[in-house]
Amino acid sequence: MRLAPPRTRIDANKIKVKDRAGLRKIRISQISVMVLLIVGLLSVGCDYNSHMTTWGTAGPVAEKQALLFNVLLWVMVVVFVLVEGALLYAAIKFRRKPGDGLPKQVHGNTPLEITWTVIPTILILALGVWSVQTLFELDKPPAGSDVLEVTATGHQWWFEFEYPDADGNGTFVTTANELKVPVGRPVHVNLLSDDVLHSFWIPRLAGKVDMVPTRNNHLWFQADESGVFHGQCAELCGRAHALMKFRVQAVPEDEYLAWVAGFGKEPVLSAQAAQGQLVFNGEGGCVVCHSATGPDSPATVDARVQGFLSGLESPVAPGPNLTDLATRGTFAAGILDLNRENLRKWITDPESVKSGNHMSGRATVYQTPDGTTKLNQKQVSNVIEYLLSLK
Amino acid sequence: MAHVGGQLPTSDVDHTYTTTGINHRKLLMWVFLGSDCLFFGSLIATYMVYRGQSLVGPYPIDILDIPLTTISTFVLLCSSFAMVQALAATNKNDQKGIQIWLLLTAFMGAIFIGFQVYEFNAFRLEGLLVSTNLFGSTFFTLTGFHGAHVSLGIVWLMVLFFVARKGKVGPHNALDVELCGLYWHFVDIVWIVIFTLLYLVGGFDAGPVAGVLTEPSLLSLLA
Amino acid sequence: MATITEVLERPANATGLWSWITTVDHKRIGILYGVTAFIFFLVAGIEAGIIRMQLAVPENGLVSPDVYNQMFTMHATAMIFMAIMPLSAAFFNFIIPLAIGARDVAFPRLNAFSYWSFLFGALLIHSSFLFQQAPDAGWFSYAPLTEEPYSIGKGIDFWALGLQVLGVASLAAAFNFVVTIINLRAPGMTMMRMPLFVWMTFVTSILLVLAFPVITVGLIELTMDRSFGAHFFNTVGGGDPLMWQHLFWIFGHPEVYILILPAMGIVSEVIPTFSRKPLFGYPVVVFSGIVIGIMGWAVWSHHMFTVGLGPVANSVFTITTMLIAVPTGVKIFNWIGTMWGGSIKLNTCMLYAIGFVALFIVGGLSGVSHAVSPSDAQQQDTYYIVAHIHYVLFGGAIFGIFTGIYYWFPKVTGKLLDETLGKINFWLLFIGMNITFFPMHYLGMNGMPRRIYTYSTEYGWDFLNLLATAGYFVLFVGILVFIVNVVISYKNGKEAGHDPWDAPGLEWTISSPPPSYNFAQVPQVLGQDHYWIVKRQAEAAGNPITKPEPFVDPETIHMPNPSYWPIFTAFGLLLLAVSFLIEFPWQYLKFPIAIPAGIIIFIGVMGWSFEPAAPEGHHGDDHSDGGHH
Repeated sequence: MRLAPPRTRIDANKIKVKDRAGLRKIRISQISVMVLLIVGLLSVGCDYNSHMTTWGTAGPVAEKQALLFNVLLWVMVVVFVLVEGALLYAAIKFRRKPGDGLPKQVHGNTPLEITWTVIPTILILALGVWSVQTLFELDKPPAGSDVLEVTATGHQWWFEFEYPDADGNGTFVTTANELKVPVGRPVHVNLLSDDVLHSFWIPRLAGKVDMVPTRNNHLWFQADESGVFHGQCAELCGRAHALMKFRVQAVPEDEYLAWVAGFGKEPVLSAQAAQGQLVFNGEGGCVVCHSATGPDSPATVDARVQGFLSGLESPVAPGPNLTDLATRGTFAAGILDLNRENLRKWITDPESVKSGNHMSGRATVYQTPDGTTKLNQKQVSNVIEYLLSLK
Repeated sequence: MAHVGGQLPTSDVDHTYTTTGINHRKLLMWVFLGSDCLFFGSLIATYMVYRGQSLVGPYPIDILDIPLTTISTFVLLCSSFAMVQALAATNKNDQKGIQIWLLLTAFMGAIFIGFQVYEFNAFRLEGLLVSTNLFGSTFFTLTGFHGAHVSLGIVWLMVLFFVARKGKVGPHNALDVELCGLYWHFVDIVWIVIFTLLYLVGGFDAGPVAGVLTEPSLLSLLA
Repeated sequence: MATITEVLERPANATGLWSWITTVDHKRIGILYGVTAFIFFLVAGIEAGIIRMQLAVPENGLVSPDVYNQMFTMHATAMIFMAIMPLSAAFFNFIIPLAIGARDVAFPRLNAFSYWSFLFGALLIHSSFLFQQAPDAGWFSYAPLTEEPYSIGKGIDFWALGLQVLGVASLAAAFNFVVTIINLRAPGMTMMRMPLFVWMTFVTSILLVLAFPVITVGLIELTMDRSFGAHFFNTVGGGDPLMWQHLFWIFGHPEVYILILPAMGIVSEVIPTFSRKPLFGYPVVVFSGIVIGIMGWAVWSHHMFTVGLGPVANSVFTITTMLIAVPTGVKIFNWIGTMWGGSIKLNTCMLYAIGFVALFIVGGLSGVSHAVSPSDAQQQDTYYIVAHIHYVLFGGAIFGIFTGIYYWFPKVTGKLLDETLGKINFWLLFIGMNITFFPMHYLGMNGMPRRIYTYSTEYGWDFLNLLATAGYFVLFVGILVFIVNVVISYKNGKEAGHDPWDAPGLEWTISSPPPSYNFAQVPQVLGQDHYWIVKRQAEAAGNPITKPEPFVDPETIHMPNPSYWPIFTAFGLLLLAVSFLIEFPWQYLKFPIAIPAGIIIFIGVMGWSFEPAAPEGHHGDDHSDGGHH
C-alpha cells in the first residue's frame, strides 16, 4: 500500500465520473486562454514601421545580420513548438488518474539520448559555421569599392563625426550628431571615445559596435535608400545616456557633395545674426567649447578634453561643432527638432532638457543659482539667429 | 581533531568518519588553495596584460633590484625547508624541535617581509607609487597581496609557536601544523611564479619606446 | 586562549534570540538565509516596480535619470547577489546534509559565518540609499564610467566593497559545501547515487570557489583605482577598460551558471517525484551539469561581442557559446523524458517545475540567438537581452526556487502550503511573467536600448512598455498571494507528515520538521532514489513504511554547540569594509575604524580556533584539545 497522496481541495482522483466532463471543460478553457495569450503575445510585436527597428533593413550589413536572425528565429520557433509541445503533451497525457499504479520505471534510453544530443549539435554547428562566415564577411567593406571614411567619436552625451577626406579632394569636415552620407556607397566608420564607453548603433543600417576609449574600433555600413536613419548610443555612459541619439542622413551623391562644398563657407548673416555671433564669441563664451567656423583640428578637441579632465570646476568640455548646424534636422544629440522654440529652450535652460549635461554643468555662462543662462532673452534670440544661419 | 560537525554516528562510533578518508580541514585547505590560485592568477594576468604599457616611468629596469630580491626569495625558500622540518618534528614529538623550526620559519618569513618593506619604501623614494603608472599599479597590488598572505602566515606560525610552548602540539594534532605548512608552501610557490615573471622575465622592461612587447599570446587576441 | 571564552561561555541554548544569533545548525542557517533573501527579493522587486512605472509611458518624469540609474543597478545587483544566490544557499543549507545522510555540514561555524557576512554585506550595499549614493553604473559597472571624474560620490565604492563582503560569504559557503558533499556522504552514497540537487550544488560550489576570486581581484583593482589613484582601468593612466570587462565576465559567466544550476537540480528532483518515475538518463543529466560547469569558462566574451575584439575572437566565442547550448538543451529533453509515461501529479510544486522548463526553453532559445554574434550586434544592450535575462533568471532560477519552496516547505515546517493559493500564485506569476517579459523581445528588436530612463513616442514602443508594466502588477499580486500562502500555511496548514510526496530522497525518511540531529541511525544508502527502493522493498515484504525514523533523545547525540565567534568575526569584516568607505568629512576615522576591525577579525579567528567544544559542564566539554574548526 503506497502512502495516500496529501489531500488537496481539488483532488481529481476523488471526483466522481460524471463531473469529469465538467473538469474537461475547465481544462479546455484553461488551454484556450493559454493559446490566446501565446498568440496574442507573439503578434503584438510585429511592427515594421519604427525608425529604430532592426527588421526595417536599409543596407547590406543590417540585411545580412537580419537574415541570420530571421532564419534562426524560424529555427527557434520550430524547436519551441516541438519541445514545448512535447512538454505540454506529456504533462496532459500522462496525468495521474485514479487507480493508476506505479508507472514503468524507465531509467533512460541510450540510443534516444545519443540522437537527441547529436542532432542539435549538428544543427548548432551548422548555424555556427554560417555565423562565422557572416562575421568575417561583415568585418570589412567589400574590396575595391569607393569607401567613405568617417571617424565617429563618442562624448558624454553627443556624437562627433569627422570626415578626413569628405569629397575625395582632401576636404576635412567636422560635424556632430547628424551624419550625412551618399546613398549606395559603403561608409567605414572608425569608432573612438574621449571619455567613457559609448556605442554606435543605427539599427536599420548595421549592428552596433562600442566606442571604447583607448581603442580604435570600427564598423561599416551602406545606406541603399535615401532617408533619415535614427541611431542611439547603446552603452550606459552616465546620466544622460537615454538622450544621446544621432541620425544618419543618406542623400544622393550630388546633394552630399554640395553639402561638403558648402561646409565652412562664410555664412550670410543678417544684422541680428551678426549680433548673435558677437555674443557667441564673446559674452556667451560658446566658442570655448563649440567651433562654428570650420572643422575642429585634433589639437582643439584634445585641448578641450584635457580641459574637461583637468578638474570638476574647469569651464571647458568638448562640444559639438556647429559649422553646419542649420543643415541638420535635430540638435542636442538627436533629441530636439531644430527650430527657434527648441533652441530657446535649450540655450536658456539646458539642464531642464538634458539633466546632467556638461554645457550647463561647466560653462561659465550657466553658473547661476538656478542653472539658467546669464544671457538675457534678446541675446538668446540673437544667438538663435546666428545659429540658424550656419549652413 | 576530536569532533567534527555533522558526524552521523552516535557517541560510540568513530567521530572522524569521512567518506574519502581525508580529514575535512585538509580538504578545505586544498579547496581554498585552489581558489587562491585563481586569485593570484587574476592578479598575475593583469600584470602580464599590462606589461610594457606604462605611459611614464620609472620602468622595471630602472628600479628593480634583482640581486637583492633574489636573496629574499632564497630566504623564503629556506623558510619552506624549515616548515618541513617543523612538521617532521611534530610527527616525532620532538617538542624542542617543533618550537625551534616554527620560530625559524616565521623568522625567515619576517625577513622576507622586511626586505619587501624596504623595497617598497625604496621604490617610493625613487618615484614609483601605485598611482605613478601601470607598472606601479600592478607591481604593488600583486606583490602587496602576496606579502599580506605571507604576513598572515607568520601570524599563524606564531600562534602555533605559542601553543607549542605550552606543550600542546604533538603527533595527535600534527594536522594543525600540516595545514599551516600547506598554506606556507603555497605562498612560497606563488612567490616563485611572481619572482620569475616580474623580476626575471619582466625585470628588464624599459618602457614602450624601447620596443619591449608582451609575449604574443591568446591574451593579445583579446586585448 | 581559554581566557577569551571565560568572558563569555560558549553558548548551549536552543531557544531565544541568542540561540538564533549563535546557531550553527544548518537547518536554522537555511531558514535565516531564506527569510533574509526573500526580503531582499521584495526590495529588488520594488525597484523593478519603479523602473516599470517610469517606463510605462514615454517621456515620463516619475524619477530623475540619476535615481533611475540607481534603480536598475540595485535591482540587478540585489536580485543576483542578495536574492537568487542566497535563496539557493537556503536550500543548500537546509537540504544538503539531509539529502546525503549527514548531521550537519563539515564546518558548521563557517556556515554561520557565511550567513552573517551575507547579511552584513547586503545591509552595507543597501545602506548606500541612506546616503543617497546608491551605485548607478549598472550591475556590471563598466569602467571607465566607474572611475573618476565620471563617477563622483561613493556609490561605486558601496557596490565594490559590499560585493567583496558578499564574496567572502559566498566563498565560505562554497568551501563548506564542497567539503561536505565530498566528505560527509553516508555509507553507500557513491557520487553516482547522489540526488541531482546535491550534484548541482557540488558543481555550483566548485564554480563559486573558482570564479569569485576573479571578481575579487577586479573589485580590488577598481578600489585601488578609486581610492589610491591606480590605473588599472583608468584610461588617462594607460589602463584598458576591457581589462575590467574580461575580469568581470570571466567571473560573470560562471556566475550565471551558479544562478541556474541549483534551480535545475531542484527541478531534476521534483519532476521524478511527481511523475513517479526515476530521472530519465541520470548519468547524462549529471554529466551535462559538469560539462556546463567546465564549458562555462570558455564563453565569457560573448558578453563582449560588440567591444571590437575582432572577428577571430568573436568567432571562437560564437562557437563555444553555441556548443554550450547542447548540454543545456539535453537536460530539457531528459526532464520531458522523465514525465513521459509517468503518472504525473499536477500540484503547485509540479506546475512550477513544468513552468520552469517551459520558460527556460524560451530563455535558452533566445540565448542561442545571442550566441550568433552578427545578429547579437543588433541585440546587445537592448531589451531583447533584458527579455532573455528574465526568462532564464525569473522563469528559470526564481521558478526553480519556488519549486523548491513548495517541495520542501513541508519538510522545513511540517505543514503543507495551501494548494489553491499555490495554484493562484503559480498562474499569476506564470502569466504575469510572460506579459511583462515577452514583449521585451520585440522592444529590443525594434530598437529600444537598455538602461534608458525614458524614450520618445516616435518609435512605437509605447504600447509594449505599458503592457510590460501591466504585467508587473500581475506579478506583484502573485507574490502577495504567495506571502499570504506562507503565512496562513505556517500557522494553520495541514500536517505534512514525514513524506507527503512519496519522494525518493533521504530527507523524507525523517520527521517534518527534522529533529535537531537529523538522523538517529546512519543511513546505509542502497542506490539512487534510496527511499523509493526502501519503500518498495518494504511494501513487497508486506511491511509498508508509514512512519519516519523514530526519535531518540537528543542528549545522546553529540551535535556541534552554538558559537558567537562567527557573527563576531563577520562584524569585524563589515567594519573593515566600512573603514574603506569613510570619506570626507570623516576621513580621519578611516584608521581608527580599520585597525580595531582588523583586531576584531583576529580575535574572532583566534576565539573560533580555540573555543572549547562546549561550555563547562555540557556534553562534549571533554574534547578541549585545541584542534577545532
